Amino acid sequence: MSTKRPDLRLIGKDSDHDAVEQLALLAELIQEFASSLNLDETLQTAIERFMAYMDAEAASIFLLENKDRELVCYKCVGPVDIAGLRLNVAEGIVGKCVREQACQMVRDVRRSRDFSGTIDHSSGFSTRSLLCAPLSVRGECIGVLELVNKRSGDGLFDPQDQTLVRVLASAAALAIHNARMADSLVEHERLRREFELAREIQRKLLPVPHETRFPVAGVNFPAYEVSGDFYDFFRLPDGRIYFNLADVSGKGMNAALLMAQTSSLLRCLARDYTDPGKLLARVNQALCETASRGMFVTIVSGYIEPQGRLICFSNAGHQPPLQRHCDGGFAEIPAGAPPLGVDPETEFPMSELSLMDGSLYLFTDGVTESLTAEHKPLDVSGLIELIESGTALESSEQLENIVAEIRRPGTRQRDDITMMLISSRCHQLSKKLFQQRFSAQPECLQDVRAKVNAAAIQAGCSAKVAAQIVLAVDEACTNIMQHADQGDYAGEILLEMHNNDEELICVLKDWAAPLDPSQIQPRALDELRPGGLGTHFINELMDNWIFDEAPQGCGNCLTLRKHIA
Amino acid sequence: MSFGHRVERGYAVVALRGDVDLARSPDARALILQCLEQKSDLLVDLSEVDYIDSSGVASLVEGYQMAKKEGLKFGLIGVSEAALSVLKLARLDQVFPIHADLDARLLDDG
Repeated sequence: MSTKRPDLRLIGKDSDHDAVEQLALLAELIQEFASSLNLDETLQTAIERFMAYMDAEAASIFLLENKDRELVCYKCVGPVDIAGLRLNVAEGIVGKCVREQACQMVRDVRRSRDFSGTIDHSSGFSTRSLLCAPLSVRGECIGVLELVNKRSGDGLFDPQDQTLVRVLASAAALAIHNARMADSLVEHERLRREFELAREIQRKLLPVPHETRFPVAGVNFPAYEVSGDFYDFFRLPDGRIYFNLADVSGKGMNAALLMAQTSSLLRCLARDYTDPGKLLARVNQALCETASRGMFVTIVSGYIEPQGRLICFSNAGHQPPLQRHCDGGFAEIPAGAPPLGVDPETEFPMSELSLMDGSLYLFTDGVTESLTAEHKPLDVSGLIELIESGTALESSEQLENIVAEIRRPGTRQRDDITMMLISSRCHQLSKKLFQQRFSAQPECLQDVRAKVNAAAIQAGCSAKVAAQIVLAVDEACTNIMQHADQGDYAGEILLEMHNNDEELICVLKDWAAPLDPSQIQPRALDELRPGGLGTHFINELMDNWIFDEAPQGCGNCLTLRKHIA
Repeated sequence: MSFGHRVERGYAVVALRGDVDLARSPDARALILQCLEQKSDLLVDLSEVDYIDSSGVASLVEGYQMAKKEGLKFGLIGVSEAALSVLKLARLDQVFPIHADLDARLLDDG
């Protein structure tokens, strides 16, 4: 306690008995203040006891409010109830006590210029003598303890009373201060619980992990209680998958609320659109109407078509996603529009890419701006290194490994960290058996067949199944050689083979004019003619095949799958 | 030309061997059609075929159709396992007359 010690010599001036009595009262009050859970009640009892002990007619406690410009009567005892009464600090004797931060004793109010007498006029009470002591804690005044009219003697207060009231005021001030601290702790605890609840709600806005073969995986680690980042993905009734990953400007509760608003809007509206740019335009308009000034959202948002081969997306001011090509190369796909929430007229162009060409990594700046062991920003180059070290892993495992490296022990996470990986199943789970480019010439086929056969055997296929895969790949190559560019294709074919525990995957790419997939149909077998058998063979031999136009408007991509488990 | 042919007991016998793929099926097709143009009944010997794809099968289909049109006999003999599995895939094992060898064919011819 930092209260001033009572001047015991003064207290004990009259007699030892008085001093002991005063000390006993003080000890008791201080004890009550210290152990009080209900300050209201304790202060009420205290001023009743002050009044009785000081033999005063009335007593009250005023507290400063309204930026210390007003004194409000918080507790009072006596013939007139002045609880709630407001006094200007600039006026009266109570105000002077605050202004001068010193006890004010007016033995006889009739001789005081400071006495206003307002209450006496309205209540009929007659004030003769006043004694006020500031309620101060660490030099800061928080209110005033006031005693009115002494009953005994000449009815006026004396210096001895002044010393005693100063001591009582110190104890009361400390009690009020402690109670306020306790209140603020309770408030702090309440806020903490609210943040916890907000975080829980946010967590529920994130998608639940899907089965490992789902083409999208994501992670989110907030730096503080709540996150300004979010990501989402879910399958729509028409079979498409909607996904997004976003970063809301700012941090804390306001960012979290904007995050919840944006995420909910997207969740509701995603099914109504096929063009991700139009979806963002709609959400942008809604955000521009309601978002606080200066707050915005950067986002990548898009759709994966039902077969999981093609994705289309729009990038509103977000970090360029990284595409990892089948050949191991990386490309950044920059934003085509400013963030959401800036201009309601913004248009959001759409990008398309084939997942057969590789996987797509989305992330927030919390990833690239995290610090390496050398205290340098990770940057995109560092992220690429981290990605490369784990491409053989399953998607969510890949992301967890990257985030574990960024959040390694001993580092302080400065920003929310959010990542998403979108990949077709073949790249997600499989490991590459081999890759070869060859010219689209029939003479190359024999060598290609030998390699496909070896790879199939290496992947654990029986000789019979390997022969089937060889025939299917041969037929696919033959189709390109015979039909691409009306039979004039003189370019190359890229063949890749992948496998996982269950299946073997062959991806064939050419750079000929895109074909209409609907034209690639096996012919009816009862129609006996020399051509058209190749597609039928592929159909019969493989479990699944997907024909895809390459995204840049040039070339075709065929993926063949065969269960080998 | 990478494939040979012989004339034996009234049949022209074209013997395909090795891999009959897009690189080599044009040769097979040319030889088959050439024999048929000479109005020969034709048997294609597939006993030494290691691999055949749809382009090779297409040559056989073309030969079968031409023979039918010209009123000539056509058939396959000594079909290797590799070739048979591909023919089955195209359900052509039910279309082409298939025999173990020339003797079996002649026996069937009566």
